[in-house]
Amino acid sequence: MRAVAALLAVIWLVPLAWALDTALKPESETTRIPVSWIVPGMSLDAFGRAFADGSLLAWLGNSLLVGVAVTALTVAVTSLAAYGLSRTRFRGRNIVMALLVAGIVIPPQVLIVPLFAEIVGLGLADTYWALILPQVVLPAMVYVLKKFFDGVPRELEEAAVVDGAGRLRVYWSLMLPLARPALAAVAIFTFVTTWNNFLWPFVAVSDPHLMTFPVGLATVQSSYGVRYAQVLAAALLGGLPLVALFLAFQRQLVTAIKG
Amino acid sequence: MNRSGFWFVVPFLVLYAAFLIVPMVIGLGASVTDEGITGHAGFVGGANYAELFQDPAVWSSLGHTLIFTVVSTPAIVLVGLAMALLANRATPERWLYRLAFFAPYLLPVSVVVLIWSWLYQPGFGLINDLLTRLGLGEVGWLSTDGMAMTSIIITTVWWTAGFSFLLYLAALQEIPRQLYEASALDGATPFQQLRRITLPLLSRTHQLVIVLQVLASLKVFDQIYLLSGQGGIPGVRSIVQYIYESGFTRFRIGYASAISYVFFALIAAVALLHFRLTAGKGAKR
Amino acid sequence: MNRRTFILAGMAVATATGAGAACSGPTGLAYWNLFSGGDGSRMTEMVGAIGTRLDAVTLAWGTPYYTKLAMAAAGGRAPDLAILHLSRLPGFAPLGLLDPFDDDLLVAHGLTPDRFPQAVWNRARHNGRTYAVPLDTHPLVLFYNTELCGKAGLLQDGKLKPIRGERQLLDAFGKAGLALAAARDVNPWRLFWTLYRQQDGQGLLDDAKALTALRLLQKIGATARFTDNNAAVALFGSGQAGFFWNGEWELPTFQEQHTPFDVAPFPQIYDRPAVHADSHSFVLPHQRDRDPERTAQTVAAIAELVGQSLTWARGGHIPAYQPVATSSAYLNLLPQANYRSAAAEAELDPPVWFAGAASDLQSSAGATIGAVLGGTMSPEAALGDLKATVMRLKNTPSPS
Repeated sequence: MRAVAALLAVIWLVPLAWALDTALKPESETTRIPVSWIVPGMSLDAFGRAFADGSLLAWLGNSLLVGVAVTALTVAVTSLAAYGLSRTRFRGRNIVMALLVAGIVIPPQVLIVPLFAEIVGLGLADTYWALILPQVVLPAMVYVLKKFFDGVPRELEEAAVVDGAGRLRVYWSLMLPLARPALAAVAIFTFVTTWNNFLWPFVAVSDPHLMTFPVGLATVQSSYGVRYAQVLAAALLGGLPLVALFLAFQRQLVTAIKG
Repeated sequence: MNRSGFWFVVPFLVLYAAFLIVPMVIGLGASVTDEGITGHAGFVGGANYAELFQDPAVWSSLGHTLIFTVVSTPAIVLVGLAMALLANRATPERWLYRLAFFAPYLLPVSVVVLIWSWLYQPGFGLINDLLTRLGLGEVGWLSTDGMAMTSIIITTVWWTAGFSFLLYLAALQEIPRQLYEASALDGATPFQQLRRITLPLLSRTHQLVIVLQVLASLKVFDQIYLLSGQGGIPGVRSIVQYIYESGFTRFRIGYASAISYVFFALIAAVALLHFRLTAGKGAKR
Repeated sequence: MNRRTFILAGMAVATATGAGAACSGPTGLAYWNLFSGGDGSRMTEMVGAIGTRLDAVTLAWGTPYYTKLAMAAAGGRAPDLAILHLSRLPGFAPLGLLDPFDDDLLVAHGLTPDRFPQAVWNRARHNGRTYAVPLDTHPLVLFYNTELCGKAGLLQDGKLKPIRGERQLLDAFGKAGLALAAARDVNPWRLFWTLYRQQDGQGLLDDAKALTALRLLQKIGATARFTDNNAAVALFGSGQAGFFWNGEWELPTFQEQHTPFDVAPFPQIYDRPAVHADSHSFVLPHQRDRDPERTAQTVAAIAELVGQSLTWARGGHIPAYQPVATSSAYLNLLPQANYRSAAAEAELDPPVWFAGAASDLQSSAGATIGAVLGGTMSPEAALGDLKATVMRLKNTPSPS
């Protein structure tokens, strides 16, 4: 059994390993037949070229900018909404709950065409706003956080309210700190999803300077024809940060997925 | 006091309205016009809907999407389950298995596509090289319609099985050890344990994984579009890709919106079906 | 927490750096094209040789390029300069996805109608305005292997004897062999359009003339090896076929392989000289707030680039800019100069929105006509197929 598991794991790692191996080769060696894992002249050259040639740095910067912005906005907006839904009563609360469920069912793919028309109509095509704002709408995250807040004992709040704290104060000083693990999970999940998102950034933005990493990598070609070592180096450079993030934040990510 | 609660929900509602409700309305409106990519629109009533039901490309891309869903879902579920069962036993190295099986899921689709189209290359592609060394012929993984869908599904399994793997692993770790120990004392073989204890206790997870996978597969776009060279293989085109092409390549925003709405109805129907099925089960329990 | 804090701090620094890189300094005029491989390096050379600073980006040839270009133009923040196949103009200019050139600006930079071939300049106009400045004409030509054709007695003074009429054509192909790129290719459409327009076939389609063309193609296909582009190139390049009927852009490949070849304009088989061609041209994608200063710089850049089109011609293309096309440097560039007359006989795709490079018409028709070449479809059936395709495309609402 152990052998089978180990074999499967090795097979699963081969594509990444082969990509890394190719990225370490000189370009001329990448297309040699028969293939071999070790060739003369292996180096980190392709990685250097990937940075220098083209807009890789800009794309990574855009992904980071959009990722951080969407995550920050999402955490703020969804935690506010989740707290409001969990702890307060107001007219229309049921409508909002229904909207939440409806929002979870509507797939983003259905919206790309009219959303593009809307963005163009607002004059926001090819801007960071077009990338960031639509990605902040995550009804599922509101639902998850609401469930969390539902589980917080009311006595804690009642004590704070008795002490004269307003709703906002309770939210800020009491609920948020309590919710840190859940918020961390939401933040990590949102960041990963945003970083990897392809379809909407692909539609929203055509300017290569604004492209996020996944879009840039898929859209922009080298004018010289495909240079496999270099392009795989670029792919690895952009793809691996999230794996590193996973190693650092494993628990939160798994919690978020289970939620 | 009653009003102030509402303000907490306002920021979310504003964004929700602006980027979910408004597009839905715009889409509905566009679907009854011949709106083009520059925004010019004229009312056409139900013409788009009539056209799409007779459009062979709509049916073929729906067909491709269904094939993709029907074939990839069991593959991903089974592979994910197998991985979880294997990794569950390997306590000290579990982190290594977690990394190996889950890392692909963290990669953006463009990276996955690049790695796999490189693997699928004729001649110097690793897979064809291996086949040649074994004395078998080369395979045109992405160059023939027939193989292309298979290749796309293989890539998809590699990319996304890690997600179900995690869900199954988490569920497996919640099964109490005593159940296994007790049954072992009663002389149960590992296979019997699997059938009688593990799998039934995973039924909730099965449901979750399957429904998530089916819904995700129906919405597929990225890897099919990119592995076919940005739309170069109409024989594997998914319905979302046809929506994309109708709207942005052929400039028919109105028509694409109509197809989007029909697609949405399909998704909603599947979700509703699942809801009915699980609600029914809950009542039975 | 230390590890986490470190990573988060690193991300913050990276964000700042990245964002800085994303909107840093003067990057020159944004320029999109679809050239990779040999054409890509030649264009890069030209961009490097001019004074105006251009920030060039290459997108994947064909549908992905035109989709992105249209979306950028619809959004109003398109690049300053882009390449467009002139055959695609009818699908872009009337929609307002391109901005017209200011005639005074064109004149000021020497980009006047008399400096470009009539055939292509007319296709660059719409509603009385100029929307494109042609860089080249790239027609189909007839490559011939000098050794094989010499042995077959088809040469005169080292050059191919003129071929007129169906009989002589089939005869020549039969004697020396023809490599034909017809499988999974749009080339069959171009071959068909050449023969159709040589009969002065009007519109889509004159049945009789289309049938004549298809019947000839069927006979040609019978003498040739039915393969895809790569295989056909390999056949001619390695000296296994005497003729290769394809676009002039294949020229550098055979030069690299040291094939003993020459190039002639495609023979006139019917009433008038004509050959299918397209033209890479420079256009101004639509911008919401067009800056006159930048536009002037863009036109200056265009003038500089067409001035560099001798470099471009090394890839086999015929320069559209006459001062270069009539220069001694170009006239001495062989074998390119041998087929320069094809520019005047250029026949682009019909001026409808559904035709042009990478269009539905080309791929559908290419498949149908390819079947005729391959012998798996009769000319009559193919004609029916083509007409059905045209009807279907005509009935699709034209884009807006």
